Amino acid sequence: MNFVDLLFLFFATLACGGALAMVFARHPVSGAMFMIVSLVGVAALFVLLEAFFLAILQVLVYAGAVMVLFLFIIMLLDVGPDGSKVDLSKWKPGFIGVLLSVLLVAVLLFLLIGDGGTPASNTASWPTPSDARETGDFPTLEFSPEVSFFGYGLMTKYMLPLQVSGFMLLAAMVGVIIISKAPKTNKGDS
Amino acid sequence: MIEITLGILFLPLLSAAIILLFLRDKADLAAKVSVGAAGGVLLASLWLIFAGHEESFTWNTRWFSLGGWELRFGFLIDGPARLLLFIVSFVGFLIHVFSLGYMADDSARPRYFGGLSIFMFSMLGITLADNLIMIFVFWELVGFSSYLLIAHYFETEEASQASRKAFIVNRVGDFGFLIGIVLTYWNFGTVNLNELADLADFSPDLASTVLCLALACGFVGKSAQFPLHVWLPDAMAGPTPVSALIHAATMVAAGIYLLVRIDFLFTEQALAAIALLGAAMGLYAGFCALVQRDVKKILAYSTLSQLGYMAAAFGLGAPGLALFHLTTHAFFKALMFLGSGSVIHACHHEQDVFNYGGLRKRMPVTAYTFLVGVLAISGINFTSGYFSKDAILLWAYNFNPPVFLLLYSGAILTSLYMFRLYFLTFEGEPRSRQASEARENSSFMTFPLVVLGILSLFGGYHSFFPERLASCLSPDLISASVLPHHLWMIVLGTSAWVVGLSLARMLYGQSSPKDSLELRFPGFFEICRTKLFFDEIYEFYVKRIQDPLARFLEVMELLFISGLMVRGSAGLAALVSMLFKTLYLGKIHLYALWFVLGALGFLAYAAGMFGR
Amino acid sequence: MNAITPTHFLILSFLLVGIGLMGLLVRRNLLYTLMSLEIMLNGINVALLAFSRVGNSLDGGILVFFIMTVAASEVAVGLALLVALYKGRKSVMSDDACLLRN
Repeated sequence: MNFVDLLFLFFATLACGGALAMVFARHPVSGAMFMIVSLVGVAALFVLLEAFFLAILQVLVYAGAVMVLFLFIIMLLDVGPDGSKVDLSKWKPGFIGVLLSVLLVAVLLFLLIGDGGTPASNTASWPTPSDARETGDFPTLEFSPEVSFFGYGLMTKYMLPLQVSGFMLLAAMVGVIIISKAPKTNKGDS
Repeated sequence: MIEITLGILFLPLLSAAIILLFLRDKADLAAKVSVGAAGGVLLASLWLIFAGHEESFTWNTRWFSLGGWELRFGFLIDGPARLLLFIVSFVGFLIHVFSLGYMADDSARPRYFGGLSIFMFSMLGITLADNLIMIFVFWELVGFSSYLLIAHYFETEEASQASRKAFIVNRVGDFGFLIGIVLTYWNFGTVNLNELADLADFSPDLASTVLCLALACGFVGKSAQFPLHVWLPDAMAGPTPVSALIHAATMVAAGIYLLVRIDFLFTEQALAAIALLGAAMGLYAGFCALVQRDVKKILAYSTLSQLGYMAAAFGLGAPGLALFHLTTHAFFKALMFLGSGSVIHACHHEQDVFNYGGLRKRMPVTAYTFLVGVLAISGINFTSGYFSKDAILLWAYNFNPPVFLLLYSGAILTSLYMFRLYFLTFEGEPRSRQASEARENSSFMTFPLVVLGILSLFGGYHSFFPERLASCLSPDLISASVLPHHLWMIVLGTSAWVVGLSLARMLYGQSSPKDSLELRFPGFFEICRTKLFFDEIYEFYVKRIQDPLARFLEVMELLFISGLMVRGSAGLAALVSMLFKTLYLGKIHLYALWFVLGALGFLAYAAGMFGR
Repeated sequence: MNAITPTHFLILSFLLVGIGLMGLLVRRNLLYTLMSLEIMLNGINVALLAFSRVGNSLDGGILVFFIMTVAASEVAVGLALLVALYKGRKSVMSDDACLLRN
């Protein structure tokens, strides 16, 4: 067990623990804080996977923008710990939810490492960087930690999806503006 | 000819349609339309009977066809049809006129006159029809219009119950009639009366006792003979002119008329059974009539008794005598019903004879015409009833002594209860305020009484009947006139009404508010009052046997037919939908739950948990 | 225990997805629902990056980039909807947002 493995364990625990703490948090603000912890943990895992650009994006977009938006809305709505805390004994669907999600994870793990399927075998070790394949019209984008490769991929092979996602962001912005506008016809009823 | 006949048949229907569609709120006009239709029918009938050149004719056309089988619609105008046509149109017209007076202050006159017109239509249909199925159709229509008219005062419990009873009891008889028609078609291959007559003439073995007894079921129901007689007395809940028209003169006579029309089918055994049944009815109804207090019920039981005479005459092989008695009976019974209607109208719908008395001085026309009816039905010499009834008695005396004994006792009873009714109603002193204030009715009501009174007196002289009317009577009457023991019969017949009259004079001559028969012979009176428990027996049967059976069948039907077979598929779909409906609780979490369950299922399948 | 393999990353990804799902099913507060969705997307991102490394291809990484874009706009729209809901019902609980039944 080397240092990197320790780091992985640490950040994996951070990510999972933060997520769990978020799920069972009493107050939305603390939930959002745990969420940030989890996201930072995931960002660190991205670093471990040598996706530095994505790790930065993760911190900037998720922890920076999205969670700030969350906190902003929580505070705008002034939502307190309003009875939404989990009570497994009284709330049967909650119990079923926990059971189901555990079951799902169990099935997935069974698929991954159990004797049920073989696909797990080729993820048993990291590949050597050389065995690349040729696919489609574009040269294969080999994995690289460098941002320039990333940008090259976006600008060549993923040009159309990039445009579409930009358009989607615009649409989301317009949609949010329209939703947020107070509806004039429905004024008065609540 | 055909046009006239069609006109006779459809004129009342047209009038009924006009009244029920357009004149619901114009009572006077409706009454006029209905009476006008009846008058038109009378005129056309008279023309058809007397001016028609043919002795007997038939005509038919296709009504509808089902596959290879076709039902024809046609007329058969022969002797009996002419006679009944005359009775129906003539008595019907008089009763329409009487209704003008009797129903003058009724609020539902359009309904009443519309019903009368429908009844005329259906009755004329029976009269003119040339095949059994057509007769059956009009038979049912007659039952329906009878139901309609009995239920005229449907606000009262009595009338609505009575109308239902009449309808249902008639259904029982009609079911037998229907079976008889099916059997006839099965055996003969036709239901046309002429063809049936030819076939029966050619090979008499085709007819069977079962067949003609089944056909006679229709007669038993419609003519209210034993054991289906229970509906007629209750049917008196209807308006009195209706009782006169339907339940005395025409509809109940239709049963006899049916028998006469198909008499060639009847076997010896069936005839004997009908004769005995009719004679027994004649006596039984006499006892029942003796103890009734309601004037109309007395007349109803007397009608039953007279119908028994006709059935006996038919059963003894003298359909002409049956028709003759039917004719005279239609006159004097309609006369008496209308007379009772006049009394009831004058006494503000008081019907208990013990609340009448002394009405002769207050209502002379009604009283004297009623007396004529009483004389005729009792068989006083040289009135119409004397000729017809004593001819039947003479025939029975010569051919079937047991039947004669029954009929003769019935004759004594007839004069006894009829004079009882007369004495209680018209003689002595008034026993109630209504009776003492009664006044003679308008000429609308007395005119038919006078006409019918004249006919009751002189209607027995059949040799004066026009040939076209009497042609169906003559053969039997001539053979009756040459029977032995003629003089002996006159003595017997006269002594019958003398005994009845003097008994009635003795018992009811003095005005008393109590029934003196009840005082002197309470046991006998009580037995007669029970009417031999027929109503109770039927009620027991329906309540204890038929109802549980029906309920059992209903449960079976609900469970197996409509539950399992009819609603089975729909029930399954509903069950599935109920199951799925529970999934839609409107909660996002639950939807997510179902989604995860589905995903789990797919994953489990992918993992090979259900086998490859 | 050996060195960290892609399998470990996949296990972690499953755990994150499972935790997110649990939050989705257990919490009735729509804020938590949205945050749980983010957790699930993160788990998927981890798996995608791991596959990207295993396949020695940048496609997975770029897909993670797009997922982030979509997630950001989803959160923006979702929160806007939440605010609109809150304006109408003064509540952010999913049970109060049910109109079809009662």
